[in-house]
Amino acid sequence: MEPNIEAVPLQFRSGISGAKTGGIGFVFDDIRGLIPNLQETDGTSFTALLELSAPQAVELLVKEDSPAKTMPLPIFPSNIALIDRASVFSVFASADNPPDRTNILSVSSSMKVDSVKEEPLESEYHRNSSSPAVSNQSLKSIKRKEREKKVKKSSKKVVANEASDGSGEQLPYVHVRARRGQATGSHSLAERARREKINARMKLLQDLVPGCNKISGTAMVLDEIINHVQALQRQVEFLSMRLAAVNPSLLAIDSESSIDNSYLGMFPPSIWPEGQMNGSRQQQPWLTDGLHPYDTSNFITPENSLLSYDSPANSASSQLKMEL
Amino acid sequence: MQNSSSSSSLMVKQEFFTKWKKGLKIYSAFNKEMTIMERKRAIKLSADVAIASTRSATTQWSRAVVAEVSSSAAGAARIAAEEILGRKLSTERRKAQAGKKIVRRRRKAAARGAVRSSAAAVAKKVVRNRRRVLKRLIPGWKKLDEICLIKETLDYIASLQVQVDVMRHLANAGETLHHQQILL
Repeated sequence: MEPNIEAVPLQFRSGISGAKTGGIGFVFDDIRGLIPNLQETDGTSFTALLELSAPQAVELLVKEDSPAKTMPLPIFPSNIALIDRASVFSVFASADNPPDRTNILSVSSSMKVDSVKEEPLESEYHRNSSSPAVSNQSLKSIKRKEREKKVKKSSKKVVANEASDGSGEQLPYVHVRARRGQATGSHSLAERARREKINARMKLLQDLVPGCNKISGTAMVLDEIINHVQALQRQVEFLSMRLAAVNPSLLAIDSESSIDNSYLGMFPPSIWPEGQMNGSRQQQPWLTDGLHPYDTSNFITPENSLLSYDSPANSASSQLKMEL
Repeated sequence: MQNSSSSSSLMVKQEFFTKWKKGLKIYSAFNKEMTIMERKRAIKLSADVAIASTRSATTQWSRAVVAEVSSSAAGAARIAAEEILGRKLSTERRKAQAGKKIVRRRRKAAARGAVRSSAAAVAKKVVRNRRRVLKRLIPGWKKLDEICLIKETLDYIASLQVQVDVMRHLANAGETLHHQQILL
């Protein structure tokens, strides 16, 4: 079976890269539509923290987002695959192409775990960087799933209707198609769906924790995750101790809400008005005049990873603050 | 990192930072002079509540952090937490959180039969132990089952990362300022 699967994508990879037909076009457009979605991402949402586009899949998995926001997403085939793995809590929008969708739905759960799962995740990670490649990949995965469905036809388990009535409703049952030679009892199917859900989330975890990608084997990955969590918790302790030690004046913050508002784009610089607030504002000029040659360079070097695009505004508003 | 994603994470960081500062202000309003340990505790508590409030009520761990603070906090801590969250803390223990049914399976060790010494069984045992350890690290672990554990871990790691980043930048900048103040 493995060679069969591997052969198919190669074919289509070469086939699709050449032609850009309308069929690929709609997937491409949806992907285009997804990218503005990412930019509108609410700052407090789960997606913001992970800084990846893949978390939107997790959002779908746990049905946290409003249907309006996730509407274009399920059309993206690999998202549908992930959704399906999440079983009961999937959110579906009305698809433009019901036949395609039902195909994907019914087939997606029967995918091979390793090869296809990596593909949707990767395609989501690289969504922003290379949409044509992603559309190729996703289309290839659609084709491959359809092939799989034709090749491996065993007992089908359709429990409820396809939920094709409107947008944003939940899929009440898992559409699981058993593969050849696999147990098809309801228990084993449900268990397999559950296992796939867990594996999908473990993959996301692996990508979040640095250095887990190369490790194979759940035990080692879990080990790394545990180490990472413990390290982060210890860092919080040490950092709070450092902050307590270094700067008694840090806590003597006057209620300068104006400062907070003016530094919406750049949080690190807002601390040094507070640090200098040992009482009066008059101290600021002489301190800042001396510090001014240092401040931007000092702030940019630790924070260049975060605020590289903010640094011009950084120095601008720091100068502005100095004039006050 | 794409600009869009880093900007949205920046929003989270700013939100965390403002909430954290709010808490610290309240602490400093309460007592001007604090020992270093008190300061550290104030900083840590404000930071924890702030980062939990950025995820407010959507995740189990954030609820657990808030619940822990509300049950064991005194005076300034309580008011700081309330200010950050924007709501009153409830001291009473809630009987059953809706939605999480934890089925405690009795380990029928006797029914297991012979000692499993196959490699797969050993691997499974190891994995199970590690999952248990991981579970204990996440705040509010009592109410987590296996699926939610992974999801909560994801969220928790990301939030911890935000917290550590902001605190580290603040500490670095503060220390540089401090050194410069000494030098000048």
